[in-house]
Amino acid sequence: MIIVKDLHKTFENNRVLRGVNYHVHQGEKIVVIGPSGSGKSTFLRCLNLLEVPTSGEIWFDGINITDQKTDIDKVREHMGMVFQNFNLFNNLTIMQNITLAPIKLKVMGKEEAGENALKLLERVGLKEKADAYPSQLSGGQKQRVAIVRSLAMNPRVMLFDEPTSALDPEMVGEVLDVMKGLAETGMTMVVVTHEMGFAREVGTKVLFMDEGIIMEENTPQEFFSNPKSQRLQEFLSKVL
Amino acid sequence: MQAWFEKVAKMFQAAFINGDRWKLYLQGLGVTLQIAFFAAILGMIIGTVLAFMKLSVRRNGKKTILAVIANIYIDIIRGTPSVLQLMIMWFIIFSSAKNGVLVAILSFGVNSGAYVAEIVRAGILAVDKGQMEAGRSLGLSKSQTMISVIIPQAVKNVLPPIGNEFIVLLKETAIVGYVSLTDLTRAANQIASRTYEPFMPLIGAAVIYFVVIKILTILLEQFERRLRKSDNR
Repeated sequence: MIIVKDLHKTFENNRVLRGVNYHVHQGEKIVVIGPSGSGKSTFLRCLNLLEVPTSGEIWFDGINITDQKTDIDKVREHMGMVFQNFNLFNNLTIMQNITLAPIKLKVMGKEEAGENALKLLERVGLKEKADAYPSQLSGGQKQRVAIVRSLAMNPRVMLFDEPTSALDPEMVGEVLDVMKGLAETGMTMVVVTHEMGFAREVGTKVLFMDEGIIMEENTPQEFFSNPKSQRLQEFLSKVL
Repeated sequence: MQAWFEKVAKMFQAAFINGDRWKLYLQGLGVTLQIAFFAAILGMIIGTVLAFMKLSVRRNGKKTILAVIANIYIDIIRGTPSVLQLMIMWFIIFSSAKNGVLVAILSFGVNSGAYVAEIVRAGILAVDKGQMEAGRSLGLSKSQTMISVIIPQAVKNVLPPIGNEFIVLLKETAIVGYVSLTDLTRAANQIASRTYEPFMPLIGAAVIYFVVIKILTILLEQFERRLRKSDNR
């Protein structure tokens, strides 16, 4: 579904990604972990071209999205993204946040988008917040709305960029529960996170990134019980 | 004491009543407000266009030719006195023009635009980068995100400094006397030189400016409060 070929990204003189190759298959839940500065967020942001790679190719459903001629807006309609800082539109109500893109991009009519938004909000237990503004919500509620906002476009894949890192500890669970529910529906997911429990429980593959490459890749079972590289062993001994 | 009051009353009469002189202040105020109002609108338009020119970037992250042009414009306008700009407009560029007020509006509008450009640009840049990223990640284009998300938030950021710019602009129109337009300041000055009593006309003009700007300030504050209410903060 997503094929990444020899991806490089350099900021100024900082080589953040140094040749990443990976293939995400339909329905997989890929969890990416690694120390800060390892390039895992940059890797994720390259997948929908929020960061433009310095070199390398990314293919999504048979389209080379790194090709200058590709209409990236069209591609992004099918790739949801959830950010560490939620990034809900501050000037719009929750309902407007969710329906803005489907209506503007003519995926749905206004009424259909509204009904769909309420249905999705109900799924995450926030139906009564439809007319509230983002500033009236807690962090956990904001992130649940952000997930719903992405889902409203019916994406084929969801990208999560440390979705629980900016949350108070007691709110992490509610967001992870929504993500687990989403995983059960068969959604293809790529998740950058520090939540090892989530990686173990939900992931179909776990990647360990360090120094701008994917250093190790395995099923969660093997990954945590039988880490091969020394760097991963050190990392796991610190975080577990 | 009595004598003092009589003297003040006489001064007042000379400055405002005799020969219907109060009408001259009002006519002057009319010219001042006319120039300030239309120059503010022109300045907003020029400033907004310049701000977007300056914010435009090419795909490789370098400045566009539009950004370079905007920079040159802003540099020149901010780098020269507005009195000189007005005189250049009136005596050189539009030396055959008949309508001085129109030339003044143009001159102040062009001048204000440079300052408004920086205000608008700062207001847009102050909106969190994540807002644009979120819009783009949903498949919205840059301009769609700008219109629906960024600009509504930027307007709130921009309002206080724009109000400030309007106030500065209104007071700066006092220099149109240099190109022989009779605004409020020049009207007061003319009356002072006729009555040989500068106190009343000059203080009177100052009070009128003050009141007008106070009213403008209150209106701007109300508008700002109304905008803030909508985001419940």
